[in-house]
Amino acid sequence: MRFRLLALVAVSALIGVGCGGGGGSSDKGTIKVGASLPLTGDFSEPGKAAKQGYQVWQAIVNEQGGLVDGRKVQMVIKDDASNQNTVVADYNALISKDKVQMLLGTFSSLLNLPASAVAERNRMLYVEPAGGSPEMFSRGFKYLFFAQQATADHQGDVFSNYVKGLPPDQRPKTAAYPTLDDPFAQPTSQGIEKILKAAGIKTVYRKTYTIDQKNFDSIANSVKASGADLVVNGATFEDGVGFVRALLKIGYTPKMLYQTTAPSLGDQYAKALGKGNTEGIFYAVSHSAKAKTPGNEQFVAKYKQMFGGTEVPEDAADAYATAQVMQAAVKAVGGIDDQAKLADWLRNNKVDTILGPLEWDEAGRPQGQFLVGQWQNGAPEIILPKGATATTQSIVPEWKPSGAGT
Amino acid sequence: MTEFVQTLILGLLVGGVYALLASGLTLIFGVMNVINIAHGAFLILAAFITYSIWRAIGLDPLAGILITTPVMFVFGWVVYNLTLRRIRTGPAAATVLLTFGLALVVEGLMGIIWGNTAHAVTAPYFNESFHIGSLFLPKAQVYGGVLALVVLAVLWIVLTQSWLGRAIRAAAVNPQGAALVGVNVSAVSAATFAVGVASAGAGGSIASVLYTFLPGSHYVWISRLLGIIVLGGMGSLPGALIGALTLGIAETMTVTYISPSWATAVPYALVFVVLLVRPYGILGTRLREDVVT
Repeated sequence: MRFRLLALVAVSALIGVGCGGGGGSSDKGTIKVGASLPLTGDFSEPGKAAKQGYQVWQAIVNEQGGLVDGRKVQMVIKDDASNQNTVVADYNALISKDKVQMLLGTFSSLLNLPASAVAERNRMLYVEPAGGSPEMFSRGFKYLFFAQQATADHQGDVFSNYVKGLPPDQRPKTAAYPTLDDPFAQPTSQGIEKILKAAGIKTVYRKTYTIDQKNFDSIANSVKASGADLVVNGATFEDGVGFVRALLKIGYTPKMLYQTTAPSLGDQYAKALGKGNTEGIFYAVSHSAKAKTPGNEQFVAKYKQMFGGTEVPEDAADAYATAQVMQAAVKAVGGIDDQAKLADWLRNNKVDTILGPLEWDEAGRPQGQFLVGQWQNGAPEIILPKGATATTQSIVPEWKPSGAGT
Repeated sequence: MTEFVQTLILGLLVGGVYALLASGLTLIFGVMNVINIAHGAFLILAAFITYSIWRAIGLDPLAGILITTPVMFVFGWVVYNLTLRRIRTGPAAATVLLTFGLALVVEGLMGIIWGNTAHAVTAPYFNESFHIGSLFLPKAQVYGGVLALVVLAVLWIVLTQSWLGRAIRAAAVNPQGAALVGVNVSAVSAATFAVGVASAGAGGSIASVLYTFLPGSHYVWISRLLGIIVLGGMGSLPGALIGALTLGIAETMTVTYISPSWATAVPYALVFVVLLVRPYGILGTRLREDVVT
């Protein structure tokens, strides 16, 4: 028995072990830009997309003559294996061993929390593409900037205001908030609840589940028992899909359904639910390939040229925008030596990116608004805010699953 | 009252599926004294095979079992002969580490072949339920539960009624004695391991309809399945069924009456309590080594 116990302890310890890699020498005059991304492990898919975004930026910036003073960019990307300890080791190595001159952020609040602390200790600018948890910006960091439109607690603002503004006979009266215990999903759901509660939409269910929850039938059954008109599911992909499938199984169709993250994953989402079942599902998203934002067309074309496919992952676009933000600061300041000056410039200026214009408060929180997407006729569309970024003017008022599989 | 009955039904159905997934794990431990940490990875591999067949020719995952089971049987036999056979008589810790290594290799290969994105099979009945009054029974879970009973019954009949079963039990109780009376212990071990992995084939097919899965999903499954067989008594097939049903009901009751955030903690607390009272699990057998240590 003791042997088995020891072995299991060893196995548990080994699960946490990851390894970094990458690096390489640079030519004289090139600027080394370092990042560690989750290329393996739980976040490997968004991590790989973020790497593609950085690679597209490297290609475009070098084609345009380099980052500053004609100096071209050499990306040094390590794999943090979706592990918090490894990401810290990686950023330390990027700074001390690989001698990178600039840093770019990693994916997820979970990994950006420790990684941004390394950058802050070394007084290096740290613009990151996917760490929107409010916790990120409560530490008084001076070099940290989030390159999306808003932090997680404001991700659902546009959607909440849309619901709030509906005529009384169409507005949901009750809402349920089944939410994943996650630094991004939970504040998003809480932010929506705060606005809707103030608008008189009663909360009839709020419960949190953990990432290893596999069976959603009981949760869906409890949501059904609450009779909520609107269901807001703070989720990542697997649990988000599991929850909607459970709603379908028990035959419960709330008037409106909003989810974080999962519906923005395009074809993957439609395949997991069956296209017909996605009709009318709302979500927030940072990027649209069809948006007429500066440089977006060039980014989309270059992405497709380099990596093929028909879809451009949101995480690739976020990473590209992250590098755009850093590039704008370097260009404006005219060099990379004074990183505090770069951070000061970002705090006081607006940057045009493929996600739209971004600006930040003192703590590095973005001050914009997310786009609201909705699945319509088996395809994701941008519906709000109305204007240049919207891909359609029509909004499907309710969730209408057709019940069809793929 | 309806809510309680509904929760109980959901718990039993979840437990039924868990029993199917855990049956091979407990069989391999019971006969070979090997804790197969790769069982979760084999399960996910079968789910991916089911997915590919379904995408390619539209074959229903339930029918896909007829393919995944023999494929995983052969895979299990090959894996045993290439790896486990060499350290069969080594310490238990060595087999744990070896099978953990196997799990990592299989995870990596699945990542290369299918990518690290979540997959799911949307068979025609994936979102359908049987309705009895105001109660509902999700069809895929019902099929999984029935399949679990069939697999467990077949395994039990094979173990108790056939020559192979007697050979397996003989090899488990006394390998030297079994060899003396003409049992090829090595071949029996390979067959047992292959049968255990084949049951993961059946389980993986049904799991592909019930759950989304990606290569890394096996960590969650192996921890849950180990909990089940420890609760039921390691090596006991009826114990796996009882452990799975107990864990399934504990999970759904916790979700409904306490909070979903406790859904993974409470069942393990239950395992803890049961082990305090019965250190060898509900139907486990007390071994001489347990008494000594």
